[in-house]
Amino acid sequence: MSQAQIVAFRLALLAAVAAAWQLLPSSGIVDARLLPPLGDVLAMLGQLLGRSQVHEAIVVTASEVVLAFVIAVPLGAAIGVLAAENEYFGEIFKPMLFYVFSVPKSIFLPMFILIFGIGFQQKVAYAAFSTVFIVIMSATAAVESVKADHVLVARSCGATRTQILLRIYVPSMMPVLLETLRISMIFNFTGVMIAEMYASRTGIGHLIANWGENFQMPQLFAGVILLATVAILFNEVVRHLEARFSTWRT
Amino acid sequence: MSAIAVDRLSHVYAGAEGGVPALEDITIGVEAGKFVVIVGPSGCGKTSLLMMLAGLRHQTEGTILCAGKPISEPDPERVGVVFQEASLFPWLTALDNVEFPLALRGAPRDDRRRRAEEMLSLVGLDGFGGRYPHELSGGMKQRVSIARGLVQDPPVLLMDEPFAALDEQTRMTMGHELLRIWSTTRKTVVFITHSLTEAVYLADEVLVMSARPGRIIDRIEVTLPRPRTYEMMATDTFGQLRERIWQQIRKAP
Repeated sequence: MSQAQIVAFRLALLAAVAAAWQLLPSSGIVDARLLPPLGDVLAMLGQLLGRSQVHEAIVVTASEVVLAFVIAVPLGAAIGVLAAENEYFGEIFKPMLFYVFSVPKSIFLPMFILIFGIGFQQKVAYAAFSTVFIVIMSATAAVESVKADHVLVARSCGATRTQILLRIYVPSMMPVLLETLRISMIFNFTGVMIAEMYASRTGIGHLIANWGENFQMPQLFAGVILLATVAILFNEVVRHLEARFSTWRT
Repeated sequence: MSAIAVDRLSHVYAGAEGGVPALEDITIGVEAGKFVVIVGPSGCGKTSLLMMLAGLRHQTEGTILCAGKPISEPDPERVGVVFQEASLFPWLTALDNVEFPLALRGAPRDDRRRRAEEMLSLVGLDGFGGRYPHELSGGMKQRVSIARGLVQDPPVLLMDEPFAALDEQTRMTMGHELLRIWSTTRKTVVFITHSLTEAVYLADEVLVMSARPGRIIDRIEVTLPRPRTYEMMATDTFGQLRERIWQQIRKAP
């Protein structure tokens, strides 16, 4: 199948889902109270985007997501590189990191509420916590993807330690690192949403939880579409970068 | 003065129960412009020896002089190294791979580009500079490696089984190509291989090493005239030389 055909099929599928979403509820086949027609949902999304309450919530959620990400990624990367490069540190901490990684992070949420109270800090701390382990794991894998042969070649060419880091480690690790960014954002976003939906006074997650409890389905679906769009956009941008930096990977 | 002078070199690896002797009392003198091949059974320490000649590893005893000065760390202006396959950086184009040693020194961009292009042309890869390693065949990749080893114009070129991963035909062609490149650049070459045919075909002198701990157990002068041709492989002299090396390796415990 040609690329154009594949794209055409995908668009057709998307159109079919949209049409079904519009027609099934409006014709009464599906209960419109549970699944409001797409047109209504989009109209609601337009309305919501005009409300100052929603603007505030977007700003709060976005700052939480960005801050948690900015804390978790460098921290996790540093610990991961240390675990991979420093034999003793790795020996001691690797098993513990793996153990904690396997535990669902949401069970720690009540503790974060007890420590930080309900608010901005608690959301950021919890989201950073739920993200940092995947970053550690991936950073370790990234370091291990550096080939010893390449380091040897660079040394034989007279490379200094800094040059080996910048010219061998960084390009070798780049594809894995970008993948890490992308996947850790998924964890990070999820962390913020869970924290906001569980106990919160503001933020998009809080609004969505409220709409759900109050059976405001058009608002709920509008919120889902908004979040999904933002998440997909970030993912696709990083994936595009990933593809650019990994043409040499075969 | 010899291009390379190794004097009573020994090496012992640190092990759990005392040291493991890897190389023992190695003394080698290579005259400038000579092509010397080292052969020996697997694990005899020939690669270790080459790493020491390159300044990438340190021997426990003995000295290595290159052009009269000791080798203690990698010095790409005196010694170039060509490794086994897959040593090219896959994220760089062929041209950027060849330029790599010059880029490390911070050579001006135009100079290093010109120099790298000259080297690619020397190894017969005109017009392939923009390709990435995964777009090149095994033989072409090793040509790029050779170009990278020669780009700083070092008097000595060390080669660690550079053609081991190639198929037999490509290997023969590459050996022939290497001799052509060698005859135009007149480098001193130390070449490691498992292939006895390759050894006799390429060398002025073949050094045979024993199994661990590695010692030099024989030095064989290859008297075949140059330029070497494929037809020489069928001659009696070639067969006798090959046989003598084989007997030495077989005898080695």
